Amino acid sequence: MDSELPTLFKPGRSWLHDRYPLTKLTYAGCLVVAGFAAPGLSAWLLLGALTLPLAASAHLARPLLRALLWTLAPLAAALVVVQGLFNPANHTVLLAWGGLALGQEGLAYALTVLGRLANALGGSLLFLYTTHPGRLMTALQQRGLPPGLTYLIISTLQLLPLMRRRARQTWAAQQARGLRTQGSLPTRLRALLPMVVPLVLGALLDTEERALALEGRGFSLPGRRTSLLAEQDTASDRRLRLALLVGAALVVIAGWLR
Amino acid sequence: MSLSQSFRKEFTTQALVLIPVGIVLNIVVGQLASALKLPIFLDSIGTMLVALLVGPWAGALTGFLGNLIWGLITDPVAAPFALVALIIGLVTGLLARAGLFKRWWQALLSGVIVTLALAPVAILVRAYLFGGVTGSGADFITGYLLKVGQDLFGAVVVTVIASNLVDKVITALLAWGIVKYLPKRFTARYHGAERVVG
Repeated sequence: MDSELPTLFKPGRSWLHDRYPLTKLTYAGCLVVAGFAAPGLSAWLLLGALTLPLAASAHLARPLLRALLWTLAPLAAALVVVQGLFNPANHTVLLAWGGLALGQEGLAYALTVLGRLANALGGSLLFLYTTHPGRLMTALQQRGLPPGLTYLIISTLQLLPLMRRRARQTWAAQQARGLRTQGSLPTRLRALLPMVVPLVLGALLDTEERALALEGRGFSLPGRRTSLLAEQDTASDRRLRLALLVGAALVVIAGWLR
Repeated sequence: MSLSQSFRKEFTTQALVLIPVGIVLNIVVGQLASALKLPIFLDSIGTMLVALLVGPWAGALTGFLGNLIWGLITDPVAAPFALVALIIGLVTGLLARAGLFKRWWQALLSGVIVTLALAPVAILVRAYLFGGVTGSGADFITGYLLKVGQDLFGAVVVTVIASNLVDKVITALLAWGIVKYLPKRFTARYHGAERVVG
């Protein structure tokens, strides 16, 4: 089952992989908060000075940079156009071409927004790359996350590839029956119902069996669950989390005082 | 009934198996809509279905958790909009509970109300977190409005409402139709469905 989970986890052996899952979650959370609290372009610094060296230490710098580039490129293009060309605060013209002018104020703002997003995304990706979802859920459950919520998250991850396969089958079956999926907008709109209705009805009706199977295994019983696997929190992990929280708090306070 | 009671009453095993299905339907039907190159998202169909069948809390959780998971595994832009998805589920469930999902024209009206309810949060996220863009086709509307002299906030307000109104109305109609169409044997197990099927 594990190999089918659509996650970003990249197996490997490194200091980062071995850390307690919640330490890495804290890292991602603190970085997001600090990035948005820090002024101007300093979010880029968090990405460059913390996340990238850490990723490099786990041999993950290349996939991380590639993912950042792919995700942020469309946003960057839209931001440069919307903010750089049309931001009403633009006064200093950097480049003029035809009727369009690239303004310095808008461009600086675009880079700030992009830096915050890149920093938040980088920190989260580092956490997801090095943390197996099973280990994360075990750790969260040990901390008192309700088992129902654990079920929701893992079950969603398992269901996704199955449902994608069913969507492809529905698509192929309806096309074999002569359904047109290309052409004018009304044609494509008409194709929507024959695609969506069988998919949704099938998926909903499947849940009956699953509910019975879970109930038969005591799913809704009250009380704590005993896990076969245990996640070890260490003293150094605890110190690390404290340092991260203090660091993020300092950045937020400094941002306020400015 | 107190808030925590109504909350606990909703999360039965029946509801818990439905929520992941709702989340995955959001993702898969959303991708289907973009494969058909339709100008609507349809990525809250599962949220609305859960909200209609189970209730507002389950709908809210479906939307929130769904966007968070989707943001973490594929499209990080989706994660901050988890709050918007939460509102879609919550408001749809409340409208159904108020009896506003019985007829097709009520579903249509509910779609409009859901759009108005999600707008404030969606506008704030889009304008301040993303600087007015999300890297989607709707950015062209924002760019155009800025070009003709609108300020950024105004441009984002128009973009958010225009791109959501049609989508949420069609999604609400579709979800209403599907709940009506489901066999009685199925809907009988979900309390929320009574108020839709009547």
